[in-house]
Amino acid sequence: MSLTRSKPLLFVTGLTAALALSSCAGSAAQKGGDAAAGGGGMIAQLTFPSEADATVGGLANYNPYAPKPLTSTWLYEQLIVRNALTCEETPWLAEKATWEGGNKLTFDIRQGVKWTDGQPFTAKDVAFTFNLMKQYPALDKPGVWTGTFGAPATSVTAEGNKVVFAFSGNAAPKYDGIIASKILPEHVYSKVGDPTKYVDKTPVSTGPFKVGSYNGRQLVLVRRPDYWQADKIKVQKLILEGQYDASQAALKLRAGQLDAYFGEIPNPEKTFVSADPKNNHYYYAPNGITVLTGNNERKPFNDAKFREAISYAMNKEEISLKATYGVMKPASQTGLKLPSMENLLPQKYAGKDTVLPYDLAKAGQLLDAAGYKKGADGKRTMPDGSPLAVNFTVQAGFIDYQAIADVVVKALNDLGVPSKVTASAPDSVDGQKKTGDYQLMLEYLHGGCELAKNLGNKLSSTQIPTKTEVLPNVQRFKDPAVDAAVTKLASDVDRESQKRDLEPLIDTMMTQFPVTSLIYAPARVIYRTDKAVGWPSEKDPYANPQDDKLLMLTHLTAAK
Amino acid sequence: MKYFARKFGFFVATLWAVVTLNFFIPRLQPGDPAEIMVKRLAGKDAALDQAQVEAMRAMLGAPTGSLWEQYVNYLNELVHGNFGLSYTYYPFPVTAVIGQAFWWTIVLVTIVQVLSFVGGVVLGAYAAWRRNTRFDSVVTLGSTFLGTINPFALSLLVLYVFGYTLGWFPTSGGYEEATPGWNWAFIQEAVSHAFLPALALLIVTPIGWILGMRNTMVLNLGEDYIRLAKAKGLPDRSVALKYAARNALLPSVTGFALALGGVLGGAILVETVFDYPGLGRLMGEAVTQKDYPLLQALMLMSAVGVLVANLAADLLYGVLDPRARRAEG
Repeated sequence: MSLTRSKPLLFVTGLTAALALSSCAGSAAQKGGDAAAGGGGMIAQLTFPSEADATVGGLANYNPYAPKPLTSTWLYEQLIVRNALTCEETPWLAEKATWEGGNKLTFDIRQGVKWTDGQPFTAKDVAFTFNLMKQYPALDKPGVWTGTFGAPATSVTAEGNKVVFAFSGNAAPKYDGIIASKILPEHVYSKVGDPTKYVDKTPVSTGPFKVGSYNGRQLVLVRRPDYWQADKIKVQKLILEGQYDASQAALKLRAGQLDAYFGEIPNPEKTFVSADPKNNHYYYAPNGITVLTGNNERKPFNDAKFREAISYAMNKEEISLKATYGVMKPASQTGLKLPSMENLLPQKYAGKDTVLPYDLAKAGQLLDAAGYKKGADGKRTMPDGSPLAVNFTVQAGFIDYQAIADVVVKALNDLGVPSKVTASAPDSVDGQKKTGDYQLMLEYLHGGCELAKNLGNKLSSTQIPTKTEVLPNVQRFKDPAVDAAVTKLASDVDRESQKRDLEPLIDTMMTQFPVTSLIYAPARVIYRTDKAVGWPSEKDPYANPQDDKLLMLTHLTAAK
Repeated sequence: MKYFARKFGFFVATLWAVVTLNFFIPRLQPGDPAEIMVKRLAGKDAALDQAQVEAMRAMLGAPTGSLWEQYVNYLNELVHGNFGLSYTYYPFPVTAVIGQAFWWTIVLVTIVQVLSFVGGVVLGAYAAWRRNTRFDSVVTLGSTFLGTINPFALSLLVLYVFGYTLGWFPTSGGYEEATPGWNWAFIQEAVSHAFLPALALLIVTPIGWILGMRNTMVLNLGEDYIRLAKAKGLPDRSVALKYAARNALLPSVTGFALALGGVLGGAILVETVFDYPGLGRLMGEAVTQKDYPLLQALMLMSAVGVLVANLAADLLYGVLDPRARRAEG
């Protein structure tokens, strides 16, 4: 037989669709003056990677609520864009959002916006979209009508140019999801039957672009001169084309066939920037934290003293170097992204270094003090004398995670804690998160501004994974006082009370070590400045490059 | 007649087994498609948003009823040609998704298989005829050597040399800017994009034919009837083609039929490396995405392809070689 076939090794790097996230609830304030570094002129054309898989071309669907529309970024728009890096809000289809307590939310809807078919966009379209979610739960991605993240809504109504959300209780944590929902045109989507099964081939949208052409592979979007903020859109033509892995993307970027890439390119300095330091740049913004997660229900991680001790044994600089070529910095144990969230830090931590130092000697002393004594063979035992062994489960194929696991396990063995790494398929690691049948693994701590939903849920005992659901509290930390604090934090809609109620959570992170912060996890953009300038950067992190691409585009202008 | 009836009965039984396995195997897999979808959309470094998972579950729909009811329902849908909606390409039906990928693979792999078969058989026969010459050594050793190289590495090598280094051919996809259809621009692009995957396949696929043909023919050449033909003074050409090659070809016919049947499975590896928009790439994607409806339809298609080809080969063999019929009697 001559058929030579092998099994494929497909590591589809999940390109992040625009899942806009995060926020502390509050009212949106107009972000002042766009500092454009370029000449301010028009850009003829930019090429970004495709948002849909190119495997099966020709199946055009622009329905923003389909799992994989051709684009979910450039056509339909949301109410408010909240930058998860700085927690700043930019009003979009809504000019303002106002909470009254945690159970009534009012949006002032922007006037003068037109759908691509010329019909005016109104508050009714907004109310229609959210009521459609009630009728079709499959659309309800923000969980407006369900009990996830706060109380369900009782009504969403349009009143003049306002849209009012009424909830049956505190629903502040839903804010992120609500402001990020794509608004649909009532005059189209009310006539299409089940909107989840609707194939939207001729999108009627409010966004800055219209579909120019699509040949099954290349989507050409053209600028709308009648866009409501057309003066900020300098890109005449936007081409979305190709699904690239890291090496292909680096080649295309270097060749100028791609102007930006939002996926992972390991060591961008060497593979991309060094080829042309003047035009080639990248920005890996800290967007969350990779945390070392010991199962708090299993020995030895059920002992906070043990967790504390090993937290000092983590060489975060080395982890950063091995896993990210030094791009992502060591992360603060507070669970906050610093310095961008510095203003939320309780007084007692202000100005202090909350990134735990790497101190093997201290870790050893802490272990000794906690009763994990070293035996004659140099190996430590449990305080009751029974053997101590740690098994680190890591997702096979996640190269950066595997690098981290190696550093961690080496450190543990150096400490006298016998440890080993077991690489398993990512799906089976998810299975272990559900069953709790693991000792040590890596997890992600979402760094979004909605702290009750992100840091809070990570620590809340109501958020322990079940047999069927992966919930955030994978480490299974339980503390009634923390639960109460999270509930309180969830009802806060202003920055000051948020800061106050955050303190017990940060104290828990710093003293109980439910998880150990290692390094920040990025939101990425790798870009060229030969055509367009004004990309987000460490100096000006005006947009989360992964989630706020539309906001980013409004800052781009032609290179001088 | 009994021979044909038996073969057909075997075909039906195998088909039922395939359909049944196809129903149960995906259901034994761990992992929740809704979670996987949400996670994929969010990226690796992201927390799973529970509200989104709920919405995705509502969208994809959970199977209802007992396993037996599901099975009966599945058979019923199959009979009516209804394979359901793809998870990854929701809300498009599986048949529409496969329809998009179908012709890419059929055209590419069929051409490659025919070329490989013809080329392989001719090379193999010639090597056998001229056995122990330099030509034979080059062909035999060459194919054995190439056969040991990992096809994945070989594909990457082809991609690197001709695609990136020399830049002669496009490196990924099936076409570029043309609109698919019967127009010259599209055909040109399609051919140039198909070239590298075809090349990668053509390096590997003929090897089996070459070696198989050569070995069978060498055996045949040692038979008495060849000696007799030579003794009678028949021209070499006639002995080689009409006697030795013709008989040696017989086992390859079955193999060829199976290979053609296997076309429906696509060339997963090569299509993946070259990002070729065919069935193989789709199958790989369906596996990683846990797109059960799509995966089931693809597996069924390739299994049925092989089964039908097998049946055809059996029937053909019965016609070509009367001994096969008589032996089983």
